[in-house]
Amino acid sequence: MVATAALVALGAAACSGGGDSGDSEDGEGKTLDVWIMQGTNPSADAFFEEVTTAFKEETGADLNVEFVEWGDAHDRFVTSIAGGTTPDVAETGTTWTPEFADAGALAPLDDFVAEAGLGDDLVAGLVEAGTYEEQLYGMPWYAGVRSLVYNTEIFEQAGVEPPTTWAEIESAAKAIKAEFPDKVAVAVPGDAEFTVYPWVWGAGGEVATLEGDTWTSGLDSPASQEGLSFWTGLAADGYSSAGATTWRETDVLDAFAQGNVGMAIMGSWTPGAIVEANADMEGKFAAVPIPGKDGGISPSVLGGSHLSMFNTTDDQDLAFAFIELMTTGEFATTWGEQAGYFPGQTSLLDETLQSTDPLVAPFAQQFVEGGASVPVSPNFGAVQAKATTGTMMQSILSGSEDVATASAKAAEEMTSLLNGGS
Amino acid sequence: MSSTMPVAAPAGTGPEPGYRGRRPLGRSLISRLRPWMLLTPALLVLAVLLLWPLVRVALFSLQDYGLKEIVSKESNWIGLDNFVEIFTSEQLWQVVLPNTVVFAVLSVACTVVFGTVVAVLLASLGRVWRTVVSSAIMAAWAMPAVTGTYVWVWIFDADRGVFNHVAQTLGLQDAPVNWFTERWSFYAIVLLNVVHHGFPFVAVTVLAGLLSVPNELLEAAEIDGAGPWRRFFSVIVPQLRQIFAVVIILSTIWDFKVFAQVYLMPGGSGTNREVLNLGVWSYTESFGQNRYGFGAAIAVLLTLLLLAITVVYVRTILKEDEL
Repeated sequence: MVATAALVALGAAACSGGGDSGDSEDGEGKTLDVWIMQGTNPSADAFFEEVTTAFKEETGADLNVEFVEWGDAHDRFVTSIAGGTTPDVAETGTTWTPEFADAGALAPLDDFVAEAGLGDDLVAGLVEAGTYEEQLYGMPWYAGVRSLVYNTEIFEQAGVEPPTTWAEIESAAKAIKAEFPDKVAVAVPGDAEFTVYPWVWGAGGEVATLEGDTWTSGLDSPASQEGLSFWTGLAADGYSSAGATTWRETDVLDAFAQGNVGMAIMGSWTPGAIVEANADMEGKFAAVPIPGKDGGISPSVLGGSHLSMFNTTDDQDLAFAFIELMTTGEFATTWGEQAGYFPGQTSLLDETLQSTDPLVAPFAQQFVEGGASVPVSPNFGAVQAKATTGTMMQSILSGSEDVATASAKAAEEMTSLLNGGS
Repeated sequence: MSSTMPVAAPAGTGPEPGYRGRRPLGRSLISRLRPWMLLTPALLVLAVLLLWPLVRVALFSLQDYGLKEIVSKESNWIGLDNFVEIFTSEQLWQVVLPNTVVFAVLSVACTVVFGTVVAVLLASLGRVWRTVVSSAIMAAWAMPAVTGTYVWVWIFDADRGVFNHVAQTLGLQDAPVNWFTERWSFYAIVLLNVVHHGFPFVAVTVLAGLLSVPNELLEAAEIDGAGPWRRFFSVIVPQLRQIFAVVIILSTIWDFKVFAQVYLMPGGSGTNREVLNLGVWSYTESFGQNRYGFGAAIAVLLTLLLLAITVVYVRTILKEDEL
């Protein structure tokens, strides 16, 4: 009996999901389900309280915001797509948007964007990442970029200046290691692909290029190998640490926040997290754009998020009303400031770029002058999930393979995955 | 079970005379069906929660099933292609299968031996200390695998770990070593983790068996001149054969499908291809590559492997009992 009752309850629960139907003109009595990634903005709770109030005022509908961990998010999206229980609107990482669009789970936004007159006011890099088969599926929300963050105390005591070329990175690392043998002069993490690509691009290499319908990875080109050799060479010379071979970006952040790292490639969103992890670090670190080989800037990935509308939503107008509220105007600015990201609306971005804050300006410069995109392909998610770049880095750093062998393997795998192979 | 008997008895009494001839047939049908009727709710729940997913996995394993198929809910049959790909994959024979099988054999052996040793120790303790020690080891069992894994990762961490610190202080190594990058040291840590997590179950189960061995048997053996080793292997172990069968089969099943203990270690989620096992391989292929069909085929393979091992083992045990 109990079991039967439980089954009935299960069935009833399954049927009642997403049942807020009705008139689409008025949001009264409706609830919009939204998934937002956790950890982007430390004051997200307060932020969404305000958004909920504003959304209720504007449309009369309630907002049900659920925070999802980045680490679980991809699986949760996939299982909810399978079960037809996707939210109405969700934050999707820029590399996921084409993948979900390709699967047919998202609704195109072009008409809504045109109607709202926003077409010309969206950041181009994010539009490109959110476009699949010439339709926009991801509304640009925010983006960040990684630059070179350094510990000013360590730099001062070692008597070095922030580097502007690769040779200067190496000499700075050498000086820091001499002064602080127990510290990590420069963190070269093995499981953090986005800290690798700047060196590939900086040396004139490519991660992957599209010709016709075929992707080719350039990770094993002579230029790419030169960049990889420089970056992993810093570890081989003992300026990184043995542990860093298996570090993810979160481990880099932890070590940096403890004051154990001289310099590292870190995101524009990390300063807040560093101070939050260790209040003593306040004012003791700064950033510069990632140096180019002989000066200038090495490009770095513009990573960010879209707001995407799932095609399971009952009320597309209501869903877009929320998307527009979030990605334009006051709320977009506030979110960017609180989270350390740049807004996805060009007019707002221009304001941010005027900033003279030493922890904003270098990232802004990198964003504008040294921003780049990973291959825009629905299959790039598979490359990330296969950890192609991480595998290459780890085998070089652990000494089990040299740069030439590891990069050749990685390039072969990436080419195959991007072209839909396995 | 006993409560069903009084219910059954009145049902057969006081029938009308006219039905006398048919009664035995109707009664035997009802009494034959009754256990099944009582089991039906439970079986239905099992069928929905266990059997149907199992069938689905088997069906997926014969398809090229990705995100597109999930959304469109269409089937995409490709026959045995997934299995062909698995069996022709170098990764399976050189990395995944050896990692899974060798690790399972080692960890089952270590868990059962260590658990039995602890059980013998517990059996020789007094009541109070036995309770104290067995509660202490049960804490290791009660700890979630995820938590336990992070503790071991922390112990062996290259920069801040206790192990490297001690080894360096003792002068055993000059610089910190990252123990997670090498296949053998990686699995040695997984082995420690799994044995630590699995031995309390063996210890407590074997202890229950040890306490049920009649003292007369042991005394008789002692009078006949059998030493402690002889008494253990010739008297106690044969008495505990069934218990060992259970703990070995369960440990084998658990240790074959270790997942969290590998996946959560640095490099274990895919950046170190040398340490993939069947469970992690299936997961990264399914959920990372959106190749649910291929992942399901790996899962089917793992299930069949476990079934085969269990059947062989159960048959051996039963045959020995008959002799």
